[in-house]
Amino acid sequence: MTAFLQKRAFASLISLMGLVVLVFFLSRLTGDPTTLYLPVDASLESREQFRELHGLNDPILVQFGRYVGDLVQFDFGMSIRRSAPAIDVVLQAFVWTLQLALITMTLVTVAAIVIGSIAAFHIGGVFDRIATFFSLIGASAPDFWIAIISIVIFSVGLGWLPTSGTGTVWHWILPIAVLFIRPFGLILQVVRGSMVSTLSSAYVKTARAKGLRNKPIIFVHALRNAMLPVITVIGDQAAALLNGAVVVETIFGFPGVGKLMIDSILQRDFTVVLAAIMVTAVAIFVMNILIDILYAVLDPRIRY
Amino acid sequence: MNLKACLKGTALAMVVALPAMAQDNAVTVVLSEELDLVDPCMSSRSNIGRVVLQNIAETITEMVPGQGLQPRLATEWEDMGGGTWRFHLRDGVTFHDGSAFDAEDVAHSIARTTGDKIVCEIGAKYFGGMELTTNVVDANTIDITADPAQPILPLLMSTMTVVPAETAVDSFVSTPVGTGPYTFDEYNVGQNIKLSANPNYWGDQPAVQSANYVFRSDSAVRAAMVQTGEADIAPNIALQDATNDAMDYSYPNSETVYLRVDHNIAPLNDVRVRKALNLAVDREAFVGTILANGTLLATGMTPPSTIGYNTDLTHYAYDPEQAKALLAEAKADGVDVDQEITLIGRTGNFGNVLETMEALTAMFQDAGFNMKLEMYEVAEWENFYSKPFAEDRGPQMVQAQHDNANGDPVFSMYFKYACDGLQSGVCDEKIDSMIADATASVGAEREAKWKDLFAYIHEENVTDVFLFHMVGFSRVGERLDFEPTIKTNSELQLAQISFK
Repeated sequence: MTAFLQKRAFASLISLMGLVVLVFFLSRLTGDPTTLYLPVDASLESREQFRELHGLNDPILVQFGRYVGDLVQFDFGMSIRRSAPAIDVVLQAFVWTLQLALITMTLVTVAAIVIGSIAAFHIGGVFDRIATFFSLIGASAPDFWIAIISIVIFSVGLGWLPTSGTGTVWHWILPIAVLFIRPFGLILQVVRGSMVSTLSSAYVKTARAKGLRNKPIIFVHALRNAMLPVITVIGDQAAALLNGAVVVETIFGFPGVGKLMIDSILQRDFTVVLAAIMVTAVAIFVMNILIDILYAVLDPRIRY
Repeated sequence: MNLKACLKGTALAMVVALPAMAQDNAVTVVLSEELDLVDPCMSSRSNIGRVVLQNIAETITEMVPGQGLQPRLATEWEDMGGGTWRFHLRDGVTFHDGSAFDAEDVAHSIARTTGDKIVCEIGAKYFGGMELTTNVVDANTIDITADPAQPILPLLMSTMTVVPAETAVDSFVSTPVGTGPYTFDEYNVGQNIKLSANPNYWGDQPAVQSANYVFRSDSAVRAAMVQTGEADIAPNIALQDATNDAMDYSYPNSETVYLRVDHNIAPLNDVRVRKALNLAVDREAFVGTILANGTLLATGMTPPSTIGYNTDLTHYAYDPEQAKALLAEAKADGVDVDQEITLIGRTGNFGNVLETMEALTAMFQDAGFNMKLEMYEVAEWENFYSKPFAEDRGPQMVQAQHDNANGDPVFSMYFKYACDGLQSGVCDEKIDSMIADATASVGAEREAKWKDLFAYIHEENVTDVFLFHMVGFSRVGERLDFEPTIKTNSELQLAQISFK
């Protein structure tokens, strides 16, 4: 296992380095940030002064060399827009995204597994049809529409919940509910499909023949074997959330990393873009390693 | 603890934690973006200004709509000649950190704002191309000299925010200190900024005792927050969200939309072609359809609230037939009117900008122009709008929106129309001379000279295609006694807000 982890970590590091090179040069292709930071009436001298202050006058290879030199000392540079260390700006935002992703994925996983398993056990029944109907709607409905409609109904119409923000427990309900819908629909369908296949296997029939009750058959014997494809999809969905739920963060005013990344791209705040990509990439690498470990835990045939 | 007790406790905690609705003397303002900086020298940016300008940091003078230039930290000023103005400063003023305000603070603030250690937006926007030097006469008197001389230096000082002399010159501050009626209490990044009333303020104590600024980029959410009472003011909401007659206000937002014409390249160097462009646009068709009701048709670069605005001018009436006739006349004289002209628009510049640009393109094409529309995001668009222009460009018109809430055309005309103006598409000696004359004049003479310049640009030189003076929308909670004005586009003075 240790050798496997070392190998994965090394491969991740190579990928990360490739990502840094790619993003550094691609982001520079988007243009000179000077025009965005200074008023349109700013003089040529002011523009030149701005470029000089932020090292934008140097050849791109010099800028890259300086960036890499700083990076190996864990200096991610300063945010042009915020005049603060880029890594601090990113980590502040990433904490919000991490909380949002963790809570949402925990709820999604539990709900999708329970409901998907029951639906698979009663395949073709009323419960299965209702679960399938709503999960397909959930998996295909656009986030921004659900978010705005939920504010109109629950905040403006009924007055039950705040429209947006982060102050209290109540503020988390709508964003989590909106984020919940799409992965829930998707994962429920995967759980259902995988369970349908597992429940028709010989060992489940044997368990039934031996007189075991439904609950242990579904949740003890069948579920563990049906979980491998489910975990893969959960990993994909969690990675998407870790990259930032841009729409939800924007509408509900959540100061997460997705919105930060989009804003920073639009504002040509290159150091923040790079720091955000590296932080999320590291988080996703870590999560993928955890998923690999989980495979081995669930299926003893898998050994690294 | 059993489950029931635990649930009860949780429910109670959640009720207690319900979002606090606005308190009696506190207001919540919802802004469209989080502030990246809170330094007073950056407060010419709209949302920074709405928090900092005249709330935390005050200016030396103040331009008040309808009243003209008023004292703020300076009580009076006089022209000493040779480009020098003497400012007499208010006595008994203290900064939020307890230090006394004096002329050294003004000198330091000017040096910091116009210096080269940091790029302050106020310095870059209002003081480019001039050198300011200061001479402290005594604690309450300072001479400020501009080179070249600026007859409107007192007006320019309405943009200059004052910070203590101890403020670092090489970095932006994260906790602004000023002399204003509110102190900067805390900034929870990503969440809110809190201000509270300054008990030691030199002026009257304001009715609003504290303010909480929150940030939501979606206009519908900002409007909903005021609707539900979570916020009191949303200074900037979209036209489609301004649906509540009791809460929504429209106001001239000091922005003028126009098409900057490049006079350097045929066929746009022909005045008949430029006149035909103006006649080809049905301006009235936009108002109340894809642009808000209340949008004014423009005849000049600055809004009606600026001095010298020429009310005698009327916009070019929509007359595509006359436009075609002018093009035919120019063609008969050898002007290549069939050449493709590129109309360059800026994405996201204002609500429905794409629809506006598409409609304009169709109108030009209907009048016989070979017009092509290209939309660019701001950084690319800026390459077309500001000098140096590309050498190999073809004939171009650039759509732009220009803001002048300062009450004087000098903030606009040099940049937009002088031969050396950064965004000028024209080089006309007469315009240069008229700008210089108007800039050097004062009082009624100044007003008359600006008026003449507006007339020359619109009627004789037909320099650009002026389109609209825009309106903005704010939603204000019903418990407040506050009506947005043209200044709401760049500042939001909490001290001017009271409760019903």
